[in-house]
This record gives sequence, C-alpha cells and structure tokens, in this order.
Amino acid sequence: MWTNDLSRRNFFASALGFPSLAAAAAGTAGPINPLAAKKAPLPASVKSVIFLFMHGGPSHLETFDPKPALNKLNGQLVPASFGHVQLQFSKFNESPVLGSKRTFTRHGQSGLEVSDVFPHIARHADKLAVIRSMNHDGFTHTAALNFLNNGWPRLGRPSMGSWIVYGLGSECDNLPAFVVMLEGGIKSGPVVYSSGFLPAVYQGTTLRNGPAPILYLKPPEGTTTGQQRAMLDQLKWFNEQHRQERAAAQSELDARMASYELAFRMQVAAPELADLTKESAATRALYGVDEKNTADFGGKCLMARRLVERGVRFVQLWSGNTTEGGDWDGHKQCDANHMKMAGKTDKPIAGLLADLESRGMLDSTLVIWGGEFGRTPTSDGGMNGGGDSLGRDHNPYGFSIWMAGGGIKGGKTIGRTDEIGLRAIEDPIHVHDLHATILAMLGLDHTKLTYPFQGRDFRLTDVHGKIDLLAKLRT
Amino acid sequence: MARVVSILFFVSLSALAASPEEAARAVLQTKCVSCHGAAKMSGLDLRTREAAMKGGTRGAAVAPGKAADSLLYKVVSGSGELKMPPGKQPLTGAEVQALREWIDAGAQFGGGAVTESSWWAFRKPVRPKLSGAANPVDALMKRTADLADRRTLIRRLSFDLQGLPPAPEEIDAFINDTDPNAWDKLVDRMLASPSYGERWARHWLDVVRYADTGGYETDVFFPSAWRYRDYVIRSLQQDKPYDVFVKEQIAADEIWPDDLDLDGAYEMPKSKLASLERRFGTALYTLGALPVENSFFGDQYRSEWQAEAVETTGSAFLGLTLGCARCHDHKFDPISQRDFYRMSAVFAGSEDREVPIVSQMRIFEFTRYQTKLVALDELRKKYERLKPDDKDGRETLLRQLGESYLKAPRSYDKANLLAHTEPVYDTHILVHGDFKNKGEKVGPGFPMAVGGSAPEIAEPETNYFIPRRRKALAEWLTSPDHPLTARVMVNRIWQGHFGKAIVGTANDFGRQGEPPLNRDLLDWLSVEFREQGWSMKHIHRLILQSEYYRQKRTPLRMDAESLRDAVLAATGKLNAKMFGPAVVPPLTREEREGGMRDMSQWPVSSDAAEHDRRSVYLFIKRSYRLPMMETFDAADPSASCARRETSTVAPQALTLMNSEWMNAQAARLAARLATEKDPVERVWRLTLGRSPSGIEKKRAQEFQARSGLPSLCLLLFNMNEFVYVD
Repeated sequence: MWTNDLSRRNFFASALGFPSLAAAAAGTAGPINPLAAKKAPLPASVKSVIFLFMHGGPSHLETFDPKPALNKLNGQLVPASFGHVQLQFSKFNESPVLGSKRTFTRHGQSGLEVSDVFPHIARHADKLAVIRSMNHDGFTHTAALNFLNNGWPRLGRPSMGSWIVYGLGSECDNLPAFVVMLEGGIKSGPVVYSSGFLPAVYQGTTLRNGPAPILYLKPPEGTTTGQQRAMLDQLKWFNEQHRQERAAAQSELDARMASYELAFRMQVAAPELADLTKESAATRALYGVDEKNTADFGGKCLMARRLVERGVRFVQLWSGNTTEGGDWDGHKQCDANHMKMAGKTDKPIAGLLADLESRGMLDSTLVIWGGEFGRTPTSDGGMNGGGDSLGRDHNPYGFSIWMAGGGIKGGKTIGRTDEIGLRAIEDPIHVHDLHATILAMLGLDHTKLTYPFQGRDFRLTDVHGKIDLLAKLRT
Repeated sequence: MARVVSILFFVSLSALAASPEEAARAVLQTKCVSCHGAAKMSGLDLRTREAAMKGGTRGAAVAPGKAADSLLYKVVSGSGELKMPPGKQPLTGAEVQALREWIDAGAQFGGGAVTESSWWAFRKPVRPKLSGAANPVDALMKRTADLADRRTLIRRLSFDLQGLPPAPEEIDAFINDTDPNAWDKLVDRMLASPSYGERWARHWLDVVRYADTGGYETDVFFPSAWRYRDYVIRSLQQDKPYDVFVKEQIAADEIWPDDLDLDGAYEMPKSKLASLERRFGTALYTLGALPVENSFFGDQYRSEWQAEAVETTGSAFLGLTLGCARCHDHKFDPISQRDFYRMSAVFAGSEDREVPIVSQMRIFEFTRYQTKLVALDELRKKYERLKPDDKDGRETLLRQLGESYLKAPRSYDKANLLAHTEPVYDTHILVHGDFKNKGEKVGPGFPMAVGGSAPEIAEPETNYFIPRRRKALAEWLTSPDHPLTARVMVNRIWQGHFGKAIVGTANDFGRQGEPPLNRDLLDWLSVEFREQGWSMKHIHRLILQSEYYRQKRTPLRMDAESLRDAVLAATGKLNAKMFGPAVVPPLTREEREGGMRDMSQWPVSSDAAEHDRRSVYLFIKRSYRLPMMETFDAADPSASCARRETSTVAPQALTLMNSEWMNAQAARLAARLATEKDPVERVWRLTLGRSPSGIEKKRAQEFQARSGLPSLCLLLFNMNEFVYVD
C-alpha cells in the first residue's frame, strides 16, 4: 500500500496511538505527529474535501431531478407498477403523488437542469456532476446519516473524514485536520464525525462561530497570551525536569509537551482563521456574509475556503439543525421548506465555487453537496394545503447529490431514477460506491485503508464499494 | 539459508512420518479440523473419510487418488480462488505436499477418525509447575528493573486500586512504616477500601458498554441503568466470586427465582432483597445501544436485541467475536452462523421489562393516592384550555399546579431487568443477518467447538413454558472445564494493573487475536482464579505482591475518570458519596453548543455538591459525551470496549489550560492553600505526592509571585508528572 517502508511503519505505529513506537521504528528522535501529512499511496487528484451536508434530506424532486410525471399524477395514488417501499411515517401505497412547483431550466453550456430553488448555484452548472442515482436502504435519519457519513447504519464506525485523515494526515500543523461546522444539533448526534474505533486523534473537531472557534481555545478571562506563554515556558521547564529520569517514556512525554505547543499555536492560528474581516468586501459579498439570510452559511463557506487554503484535509459544513422546521426534512410543506433552506445556502455555495475557482483551488478541492437521503414522490400529510400537508417523506431508494472540483468534468448527470423519482434505476450508485470513489480521488484504495478491530480489518466501505463512478466523473 | 531449512523440514516430515497418512493426519489435526470438524464450518467435516468425501456446501473435499482434482488440495495449495487456512499463515510447502501425497495414495483413514487439536484458547488451562520465586508472578515474569521507591509505589497503587491519589499523610505513614509487611498491609487496606469498587467497576463498565441512554436519534433515557452500575460497584467491593457475578448478570432470575411482588409487608424481607440485588445484574442486557426508531417490526426489534445480547456476551464473558458469525460463518474461529443463532435463541423468551422493585404494599400505597395525580392532570388540562391573554388565570393555575404537584405521590421504584415472555418466540437463522429472510429454525445452544461441558436444555414442544436457557448459558460459562471464562477475566485484571494485557486483544482470544505474551502466566492465574473460589481480590493480591509489579516502569497516563477525580481530590472538594442516580454536571454554553440536541435531555443535578462526585457516577449519554471525558479517551459505549486508547492531542492541553471547570478547580485549590505558611510545599504534596526540590520551589515561588496562586495550581494540574503515574 505504501511506497516506502518508513512511511508504512510510521503510519501503523502512529495509527495505534504509540508515538514512541513510531519514533523508534522510524529511527528518529522526538515525537511523531500522528496527523503528519502522508503521501497518498495512489495518484491523487484531490487534496482536500468540502462536504456541504444538507441535514434532514433535501428533495431531489425540487432541486436536481425534474419529474414532469409528478405533476400529471398529482393527487392520484402511485400506479401499482412502481411497486411498494417501506417509509418511516407515511404508507407509500396509500399516499397521493405530490407534484413539484419548481421550474427546471437548462443552464450553462452543458444545459444541466437545475430548478429555480438554486438560482445562484445554477450559474455554476458546468462545474457540477449530478449523481441522480444515489441509493441505500436506511429510511430513518440516524440510519441514513450514519450511512452517508460512516458507511454503516449503526453506531461505532469511524466517519469518512476520520478515515481520510487516518489515511493521509494533514498538511496543516496548527489547525485540526478534520473540521466540522454545525448549525445546531444533528439528529444522530456527533457520531457522524466521530472516529469510532480509530484513535481519537482522528475525530472531527467542531468549529464554532466567532473568535473562539475551537472548544476551550480561549484562555480564561483575564489571562493574556503573554501570561499563558509564560505558564507554558514554566511548564516546559518542569516537564523537562520530570522527563530526565524517564528515558523509556521520553517520546511519549515529549509528545505531550509538543501537544501544548500545538495547542498554543492553535490559539494564535484559529482566531486569525476566524477573522473574516480581513477578506475583501467583494469576497464577503460573494458569499453573502453581510446579508442576514446568508450570513451564517456564507460565513461557514468562506471559513471552509480559508481552512482548505491552510491545508486542512476534510471540512464538513452542516445546513440545518434539530429545531422544528430548521432543516431540510420537508415532511410538511416541502416546497416552502426548501425555498427557505435554499435561500440560506444557495448564494454561499455559489460563492464558494466561484471563489475556489478564481483562486485556482477548485482543481485540488472536491466539493460535495447532498443530504442523508432524498424525498418521496408521494405526499406526507395529505393534500389539503394546510400547514401539515404537502410534505414529502424520506426516500433513500433514489436521490441526488452533486460533486464539483477535484478534476471532475462538470455539467453532466450520472444515473437515473424512475419516472416518479422513487428508485434509482440506471447506474445506481450506492453510498459505498460514493465513499470508494471519494477515497480514490484522494489517492486511497478503499480496500486497503483498513484498521484492525474486534478480530478483523474494518474499512469505510465494509465489504462493498466500486469505483467505476470515477471514470464517469472525469470524462 | 531459509531455503535449506525448508528443504530439511520437508525431508523430516516425510521421513519421520511412518506413512503418508500419518503426515497428513498431523496437518488435518493441527490446521483443519478445529473448524472443519465438530464445528462443521461450511458444512465440512474432515475427521472421517466418509465425511471428507461427502464434503460441505462447496462439494466433496477429497477425490481419493486425485489430489489435483481435490478441493482440499486446491485450497491449501492456493491454486484456486478460495484459499485455506484463512488468515495470514498458509500451510508450509511440506504440509501441502503431505496432503497431496496422502490424497494421491487414496486418502486412507486407517488410523480412525482425526481428533481435534484445537486452538490453544479452547483447551482447558493446565497449571504449569513453578520453580524459584515464592510469588507465582515472579516465578513466571522476570523483572527487568530495580524496585521503585515507596513514594512511587503508594501513588501507583492508589491510582491503580482506587483511582485516586494517596493523601500526603498516607504517603508519610507508608514511607515510615517499618513493618516488613508494610506493602502487603497497604495492598490489603486499599483492596478493602470502597473506592476500589468504584475504580474497578469502571473497567467492567467499559467492557459491558454501560451508558444511561440508548443512543441514535431517540437516545432514550434509561432511568434505572445506575442500579446496574451500583450493582457492579457493590459486587466488586464484596469480592463476589466471579462465577456468581457472571451467573447473576446472565441469569439471576432463572437461577434464583423469587417472586418479588407477593410479599405483603411494607419492607421486603432480606432474602428477597438479596435476590433483587442479584437481578440488577441482568440489567446488563437492558442498556445496550439500540436504534429504537428503526424497529418498526416486533421481529426486527427482537432480532436486533438478541444479536446485541450475543455480541456483548461474546465480547465480555467469552472473549470471542461472536458478532462475526451473524451474517455468515466466522471466517477464522470455529463459530458457525448456526452457532450464532443458537446463542441468539438463548435470549429468545427474555426481554427488557420495567418491574416494580418494592413490596406490593408500597404499590398499594401509591395507587391509593393516585387520585391526587388525576387532580393534577385535570388542572393541567384546565391550564391548556386557558385563553392566551388570561394572565391572572394563568398565574392562579400555575400556583395551584405547583401545589398539587408537591402533594402528588411519588411513584414507587422500578427497574429495567430481564424478564420472560410467553410465548417463547422461535429463532431462525437469518440469511445475511436480515430479519426478513428467515432460514432454518434453531433451538438454543452454544458454540461447542470452544469447549466446556455441554449443558442440558430440556424443553417442551409447546412455546408456552418458562425458559431456563440463560441459566444453561451461565452454567456452561462457569463450568470448571470451560477454557475461556477464567482466562478472559484474569487477563482483564492483568490489563487493569499494567495497562497492557497478557493477551493484547482482551475481547478476542480467537485466531485473529494476539497470542499470549506468557501463556504459562495466563494459565497459572486462570487455574488459581477458579480454584480459589473465583476471587478477584485474590488475583489482585498475587499480582500486587510480586516484585514484578513493584519494579520501576514506564509511566502510564491516567484515564479520563482518574484525572478528573485526582483534580477534585487535590482541591479537597471531592464528594465521596457513593451510589445513586447519575450525576448530571452543568455545561457551559461553549460545551453544549452544537453537540446537544435539546437541553431538556441534560437535566442538571440540582444539588451543586453532586457535581463534585466521582466520575464513575457521571451521566453517560450516548449521543453527547462530556468533552473532557471524550478528549481523554473515555470508552465509547457503542459497543464493548476492550481497552482504551491513550491519545496525546492538543485539545487535551486546551482542556486542562483553558476550560472553565479546570480553572475553577485551580481556584479552589488555591483557596485551600490560602492559609498555608508554605503553599508551594503543600501544593506539591497535594498534587504530586512529594516535596519540591530547592530549584523547583524557587521557580514555583517566582511564578506564584508573578502570576498568582491559582495560576500555579493550574500549572501543576498541567504537568506531565501530575497526569502520569510512575
């Protein structure tokens, strides 16, 4: 898997969380940072990933997968020929079809169809590869969230970001390698960015809004940076005394001292990172940072670019929280819900794509947009037009995501759902395939990126995953 | 050179064996039949000629006279797609050749059926003979360093057995104790301390994936999980024999059946209380992580619950990865998918049920005053009907509601324990583990290839009976000739003391696990454990009294709980209260931001003194883990945790330097020192258990003068010496 022996030993030793062993194996003095950048074992087209996660499950039928048949069948039961599926809340074969109010238009040179819910993103149609045939079988939020993020519907597995950082380390030595920006809670809790059975060093770090983006980053009230530096210098002196008689544990103790220095560097680097005032007015406007509706997600998108610029490996931005109606979970009035959620994210995402491109970063950055599933062609909550009606239930059987950057040739669709957008019927792409492909773009072989746990070698893709999507994305 | 050796070996195999059959038998016996014998993995049994020719699911294994056409030869020679044996060690060239010659010669079984020579961990441990040192550990483990000094030793022992630092006075007393048995006395005193139960319970709670909520989107609250945690602490404090501990957790209700609800008195009689205490052990199977929201079908929920029970039983008691056999036969160990579902059937007919744990009279007492609850409910309805602008009405009703609430009777105590269902649902092998795809129906049973005495499970044909399946499982596990139960536990005890186990994979004694570093040591301790009444404290004592334990060692970082408790102990504010419902500590806005779905899911304990209790009592919420605990590698309760990681990452430094809680503790410690004549001397003794050297004292005093006493206290909490135990 690894081209040279040294990096392999380094890799395994540090992955096991024994910096001392790693140091011994590599024949070097001093601690080894388990997050040190590692050369990708295979040719890589992507250095960093930005995953724009639309929490709750955005409807493909209102966004990237037009289905004129829905409007024709509006109000009728689904024809029996489409068969039956299990849904969480509604009964599929007893629910009427719900038409879509959105207008789809062809955009760019490619003529990719994007609905009027995303007027800004539509301008970047030629950058997008829309996969219309995503599918899995987890029809509840937790199962689906875990599937998309951890490759497994249950608890306990590492998230994709953790696997990637485990495989590649980070190019940045004063910020976390795997960063998550939330808009509030996640329905499944933090498991979606946890390191599972991988060492904790690989877990996602949540970056908050404001000047102290990392938990416990700010020294307590009244302590200046200078005072803290003085404490660290004093601490270093005491630690050096302590270390002298403990030769056997030296590299472990050194690693702990180094972690304080890294912490201190983070304290300096993170506020600088979070200071968006240094960005030009034009850039801020591009992301909508100064507009009320887009300020939050725009700030996150701008921060994502700044993180990637600094070498952070994996950045995940969340749109949607767990308050009632606060996410893309359109069980009620799906159209109105999506107009609201898209209004907060459309301009920032378009700004991110434009900014990455103009800075020459798009080629090495993979941008992924999607949620844990799509939504049903049928109505959840009936058709009477009241507040609880005209919704759509969860649909993991066929839904859309898009990818851009990282050497992808945009302006195209991959795969197809059936006439009503219920199931993926052509070129179905399972979540495992998506994961395998993302790893491949980063230069990682999904069958070889393994970690021993409970008696066997585990992978992000379990025992599945195909990468034929890769060629389709690139040509 | 390697080539020469292999040729020599080749010659020796053929030359030394009397016949091709003998050479082949040796290979079958050592490399094949542990899976393809009684365990019949993939249906194949290679113990007799008839069975080998019949073959398994892939067809005949042997075509006598034609090795090249025999599946057995193809898989061992690596010429086909399927390769055997599984794992990283193929057969040697000589072994492959032996099988080839034997098949070509007609594959005779003239010597009768091949007997199994199973995996070391499946053979009953035999006590090795000791020589030399008086202490068995010293006889088997050579110490490689000088003995540590007494100051080091008492700190080591105190953290090891109690998870707390020794008080400065205890240290002085031990250093000045001239009794030649001073060490043994110290060991005995700390083993007898209630803190021992709290510290070692945490090790077991890791293994049984203990938490106070169920995880996933619903993350349901387990209101009585703490009773199980207390049960574990008490069991360890009492040195409950481990076989009883196992039996209680798996089958207390079946082994000590006792009607809890038929007694008329207000207080339950002692005998019944004892049975109740045992039954709290069965709560082990009621606090796993389950996606309740994903279980729309009775069979689905049952199959998930049973599978989780099997996996946890495998990890915790057997040290085997039974979960690997849920969808297909185990790839490395002789556990078939059928075995998995037979084990799963052991838990059929049992379920998690909330049962009253008070006498019937207490329940009557509650029901008698339930009218007050009805009245409260009526007030609430009235409140909900109020017009939005009726401010006066709202205030009046709120007051009435409050008063009624205070008058309403409190419900009686209940606990979620294992109970029986009627009927006992059938168990089927689930194809690929899918609950909708039911295969053959199976009855209860255990993976007998593992060993131990086969228990009898006699049951009527009808589904209406009270099962005693878990009882049979518990008896199998604790039978004197079970090869794993004692080994798995003494290995955990060893790991608890040294941070590193004899078998490094404490939850996996199978072929994918690590081999024992010292098999004689493991087996000697295992036999001793069983023969000395399964006393854990006896094993602790043997280990702790050894010179091997007392030598100088590489320092170990404290675990998350010990670190928090050590900080609290230094401040003098540690609340030593034992037992009771989980303590929910307050969170800062920064700490709860993002992670917490809804603050109503985090009901902060109203009494602030509770917040200073030991970490083992802290609320463990599967969907939100306390940042400090998580950062310092506390166990993830998704599944059984065999051993914790010890990571060293920058967020740990940020936590110890900057968190509000750490700074508050530093301020408390400073306040404790305020009246001291020599605060530097005292703070060194309170945190590090020693006096500062001259230069250290000077440095510290200078720092204190510049930055203040709280900063000095924080500095000490951040030192490597504080966080590591020599």
